[in-house]
Amino acid sequence: MYKYRKIGLVIGISVLAAFVLIAIFSPVLAPYDPYKITGAPLEKPNRNHLLGTNNMGQDIFSRLVCGTRATLIVGFGGALLMVLIGTCVGIISGYYGGKIDELLTRAVDVVMALPMFPLLIMLAMFLKPSILTLIFLMGILGWTGCARIIRSQVLLFSESNFISGVKAIGASDIYIMVKHVFPNILPLVLVKFVFATQDCMLMEVGLGFLGLGDPFMIDWGQMINRAYIKGGFALGLWWWLLPPGVSIAFLSLAVASVGHSFENEINPRLRRMIL
Amino acid sequence: MRAEYLIKRVFYSVLVFFITVGITFAVLRQIPRSYPGLDKSVIAQYFVYIYNVLQGDWGYSQGVPVLGLIWEKLYWSLIILVPAISLSLLIGILVGAHFGWKRGSKMDASVLNVMMFTRAIPPYWWAIMFILIFSFHLDLFPLGGYMSISALDRGISYSDILYHSALPIITLTVYSIPGTYYLMRNSMLLTVGEDYILTARAKGLSEKYVLFKHVLKNAMLPMVTMIPLECAYLIAGNIFIEIIFSWPGIGLLTFDAIAAKDFSLLQGIVLIDALLIIIANFSADLFYSHIDPRIKVGGGNV
Repeated sequence: MYKYRKIGLVIGISVLAAFVLIAIFSPVLAPYDPYKITGAPLEKPNRNHLLGTNNMGQDIFSRLVCGTRATLIVGFGGALLMVLIGTCVGIISGYYGGKIDELLTRAVDVVMALPMFPLLIMLAMFLKPSILTLIFLMGILGWTGCARIIRSQVLLFSESNFISGVKAIGASDIYIMVKHVFPNILPLVLVKFVFATQDCMLMEVGLGFLGLGDPFMIDWGQMINRAYIKGGFALGLWWWLLPPGVSIAFLSLAVASVGHSFENEINPRLRRMIL
Repeated sequence: MRAEYLIKRVFYSVLVFFITVGITFAVLRQIPRSYPGLDKSVIAQYFVYIYNVLQGDWGYSQGVPVLGLIWEKLYWSLIILVPAISLSLLIGILVGAHFGWKRGSKMDASVLNVMMFTRAIPPYWWAIMFILIFSFHLDLFPLGGYMSISALDRGISYSDILYHSALPIITLTVYSIPGTYYLMRNSMLLTVGEDYILTARAKGLSEKYVLFKHVLKNAMLPMVTMIPLECAYLIAGNIFIEIIFSWPGIGLLTFDAIAAKDFSLLQGIVLIDALLIIIANFSADLFYSHIDPRIKVGGGNV
């Protein structure tokens, strides 16, 4: 099983790297301007248009390539903010314990019980959807799971002898948290980050599908939305609907595969904590 | 002790509700429209709003009371949600428990991969694929909607609704099984590693006895507290599945509200979803306090 996971890691990272490269070089890779009308509407895939055209005559392949950016940026950005808040809250809560811990744990309980996705929809619509708004909203609504797990890990950890040793030397709390606690939970933080990335990517495309994508960017969710609403599904225009869906599924699978490999890697030490 | 625990949980439920109401209030206040008590201070407006919400006056969406509209749609959503939650818990717990016990086997690894794959595909994609395969090509299920055209002459029949709801329920179940499976499998792994399991084995108890009397009982406990999270996950996924299947529930209503930029309707949807999650949370707490004796004596840290 171990070797198997390693293959998964290599494949996952390669696919992810390929997507990142595509996102960076999308202006070069796209054969046409994704906004320009370059052919007849609803052309089937042909030599000029690799994946055909949509109902406006825009090149689907170019739009697909350019849409990679939005998903990757929101995925990584949202996950970074989630894990940042979650790790800070988790470390402070677990390290200090007592009243602070009680208060933060209750705060986590309350935020966790909020209806996250409906709130995300309403707030995204209210704040006018853009890449930055989405990252911000996902970050402040989605950090609780991470905080809870980090806390329980830090709780076990801060009772260990060497932390008392460092305290006895006279190190400040901040110093201990940054220099001793954080490096020891870093593997767990990394695993959480990878899975948070997957969640944020799926949410980004999902929101795009609901019509809440950044209007100034092309994204896969909006592509699926348009194809679905304009009848691409009902009429069986597979080349219109399929590419963005297959892309997000591929990307999400690659990220999940990396996450599971990492999780397996840190398993011997941390398996008890990953709930 | 149990009463104290439950009172504490009620307090948090109320707090959650008030925070949700606070957020929807903050959003609604920014939307230009005639609003009761606009001449008063913000605090007074907040209390007027809470009073109205508790009274069942959730505002109007294009002249129709929001609560009435949502109430009608909720019924349809629950037709899909309740069976899907039950099925996904049942299957997820069974499969998770089995492979948590037989961890490390070849089958365990492949099931884990299948679950990873299932979880990675977005819900609307499962819905689209299932319609293409089972409705379009195999013609086993209808393409969408909630009843046949024949209902116009013959009236609504339960079997017809069941027939239409089958595929949405299957899709939602497939989408949510990996969540319960992961939790149950992890919970099993944790429990099997406990010292008291080692003790039980050392006493020479049979594997079957250890599994049913010691491991399963304890591994099930954390599952109860995870049910509300699973509900929130399902509510999110249900939005997409209802849209693709044209099922006339809260999810499709959400889609229409977004398209119409109807904030008062969205506010109502957020409130009803908050209530659903709070109810799920509270029932889990109630159930938990019954099955975990540590709460009765106040020993456990919960």
